[in-house]
Amino acid sequence: MSRIAESKVNLNVDYSIDIVDLCKKFKRSTLKKGSYTTLKTSLLNWFFKREKETISYTQAISNFTARIPRGASLGIIGRNGSGKSTLLKLISGIYKGDSGKIAINGRIAALIELGAGFHPDFTGRENLYLGGIMHGLTRAQIDERFDAIVKFAELEHVIDDPVRTYSSGMYMRLGFSLAIHTDPDILIIDEVLAVGDAAFVSKCKDRISHLRNTGKTLLLVSHDLSAVEQWCDEVIWIDAGKEMDRGSPRRVIDKYRAWVEKADQKRLMSEPQAEVVVNHPVPEKLAKGRWGSREIEITSIKILDKDLKEQNLFHSGDKFILQLDYLVNEPQEDVVFGMGINRADGIVVLGTNTDIAEIAVPALNGANLTGRGSVRFVIDNLILNEGTFFLDAAVHKKDGYPFDYHQAALKFLARSSYPHVGVVVFPHEWQFLPEKKVARAAHD
Amino acid sequence: MINAMKQIYQFRALLWALVTRHLAIRYRGSVLGFFWSLLNPLLLMLVYSLVFKYYVRLQGVEHYSVFMFTGLLPWLWLTSSLNESTSSIVGSGHLVTKSMFPAQILPLVPVVTNCINLLLSLPVLFVFMWFSGVAFHWTLLLLPILILVQFLTLQGIGVLLGSLNVFYRDIQHILGNALTFVFFLCPILYTPETVPPQFKFSLDYNPLAQFTMGYHDLILDGAIPSLFSICFMIGFMILSLIIGYWVYGKKHETLSELL
Repeated sequence: MSRIAESKVNLNVDYSIDIVDLCKKFKRSTLKKGSYTTLKTSLLNWFFKREKETISYTQAISNFTARIPRGASLGIIGRNGSGKSTLLKLISGIYKGDSGKIAINGRIAALIELGAGFHPDFTGRENLYLGGIMHGLTRAQIDERFDAIVKFAELEHVIDDPVRTYSSGMYMRLGFSLAIHTDPDILIIDEVLAVGDAAFVSKCKDRISHLRNTGKTLLLVSHDLSAVEQWCDEVIWIDAGKEMDRGSPRRVIDKYRAWVEKADQKRLMSEPQAEVVVNHPVPEKLAKGRWGSREIEITSIKILDKDLKEQNLFHSGDKFILQLDYLVNEPQEDVVFGMGINRADGIVVLGTNTDIAEIAVPALNGANLTGRGSVRFVIDNLILNEGTFFLDAAVHKKDGYPFDYHQAALKFLARSSYPHVGVVVFPHEWQFLPEKKVARAAHD
Repeated sequence: MINAMKQIYQFRALLWALVTRHLAIRYRGSVLGFFWSLLNPLLLMLVYSLVFKYYVRLQGVEHYSVFMFTGLLPWLWLTSSLNESTSSIVGSGHLVTKSMFPAQILPLVPVVTNCINLLLSLPVLFVFMWFSGVAFHWTLLLLPILILVQFLTLQGIGVLLGSLNVFYRDIQHILGNALTFVFFLCPILYTPETVPPQFKFSLDYNPLAQFTMGYHDLILDGAIPSLFSICFMIGFMILSLIIGYWVYGKKHETLSELL
C-alpha cells in the first residue's frame, strides 16, 4: 500500500524510476544465522535491561541516486554481495529503504525468481492463473493471454500436468513466459537469463529486445557483461553499496573488468604460495611437492613479466619469464634444467628441459658449476587461454637423477580477452575472401 | 488498519486464489478428497462421544454427542486457523521475499479456508440434530453474526501471531500447547454447570469459552447470549484486530528481511 502511495509522489513523470539518495542498512544480528531474538532473550532484555545490545549495521546501499527515463535501460554490475539484488528488491518494493525516495511510474514485473509461488502439486494451467493473479492480472486478462503464455513457454503438451513433473528448465520457462506477458512498463531482470536451453535463451533475448523497442524500461542485473553491454544504454557499477562509476556501458564495463582483475591479482599475491588450496581433488601431478638429493638446489622460483616484476596474472600475448635461482652445493656434470606448466584440471600444457631441447647449459657443463646463479625460461608470447595454471621446475642429471624437483611450486592465472574454449589461443585472424559469382544451376 | 483493510479488498482476487489453492492442496491426491473435511470432525466426535458418554459417563447432559459436536466444530475452526496462520508467513517466505506480496493476506487464508470447512460441516451437525430429535430454534438465524465475530477475532489474532512468529519462532511451538490448555478451559466436553463455582471465572472471563457458550445458546438452547457475553466477545474482537494490525503495521516492512 505504501508503495502505491509513494509512486503518486511522482518526483518527475518523465522518469520510470526515480531514486534519490536511497540508503538501506541491515542489522548485523538479523543477518547472522542462529541469532534470532527468541522470546526468552527479548523478555529477559525487557525485564532486566541488561547491557545495551551491541547491534552493528551493514550498509547495503548508501546514497544511491538514479533516474531512469521512460524506455531507457539501465544495467547494474558489481561483484557478488555488492548490493545489486538489494537494490532491485528496494526498487520492486520487497524491501523498504531507510532514507531517500523511490518513485516508480508504471507497473513493474520483477523477474527476481522465476516461478516464485508456483505450487508443485498444481498443474501448469492452475499455476498460471494463480501466478497471474499474484502478478496483478485479472482472471479475464489471464484467459486472454493464456494461449500466448503457454505457446511462448513451449509447454502446450504438458500444461495440464503438475509442475512437479516439469524439468527445471520447463519450470523457468513457464515463469519467464508468465512474467513477460504481464504487460509490464518496467521489467526488472536479476540474473535470470540462464533459463532453458540456448534456443529458449535467444527467444527470451528477442522478447526482451522487443519490449525495449516498444518503449518499456529495462533494469538488468547480470554477471553476463556482454548481455549488459548489448542491452543497456547506461551502466552503473556498484560495490559495497556505493556507486563506483556510471556511464556508457563500454567504458564502465571495461573499467570494472580492469578493477576485478586487479583485485584478483592482489588476492593471488597475498595468498601464501606455500598453500595452494584447490577445493576439488587435486590431480596427483598438481600436489605440491619437492624432492631430490640437493647437490644443486633451486632456491627460488619466480614468474616475471616484461618489466621483470613478479607477476601471477597474464593476458594472452604477454611476455612470461620463469626465473630459477640456484645454489650449487656440490659441482655436478650433465646438469639439466626443466620446467612444466599444467592446467588446474591436470592437462599438461608444456613440459620441457634443456636436454630435450638440446641446449647446452652454457659454461656450467662440468665441474665448474659452482656458487649461485639464475636461469630464465622466457616465453615471448604466452598464448594461454583463460585458466589457472601450476608450474613445475626442476634441476636434474641427464639420466634423470633428481637434484631438486619442485612440483606445482607456483600458481598463476591466465586471462584472455575473449571467452574462447581450450587451452591455448594461437595468434589468429579471420579472413573473408571476396565472394565469387556463381552461375545459378540451369535446371531450376 | 484502514489501509490494511483496503489492501485486503484490493487483493481479494489473490486471497480467493490462495484459499482455493489451500483447499485444493489439502485433499489433492486423496481418494475421498473433500469428504475428509466432513469425516475428520465426525470421527473425532465419535471418539469423544465414546469416551465421555460410555467410559467417563458424564451425567445430566441431554444429547451429549450433539452438545459436544456443537462446541467442537467452531473450536476446530479456531485451532486449525490459528495454527496455520501462525506459520503462514514464515512458511511462505519465498513469496514475501521474491515478489511484491502483501504478507498480511497469508494469515487470512487459513482463517477463510477453515471457515469454509466449518460452513460445510454445519449441515452435518443439523442432520445429526434432526436424527437425535433436538429441536431447532429461530436463534439459528443469528448464527452468521456469531461466525462473523469469530472470523474477525481469528483474523486479528492470526495476523498478530503470523507476524510475530517471524521474529519469535517460539510462538508456533507455544501456541500448540496453549491451545490444548485452553481447549479444556472451554465448555466443549463438559457443560458450564459442572464447573465448581470457585472456578466459574475461567469461563466467564475466557473469551474463547464465551464463543463456545454462544454457539450452545444459539444452536441448542434457542437463547441469545447475555449482554455481558456479547460485549465481551465484541470487545475481544476489536482488541485483537487492533493489536493484530498495529503489530503488523509496525513490523511488516522488516518481515522480508528476516525470511
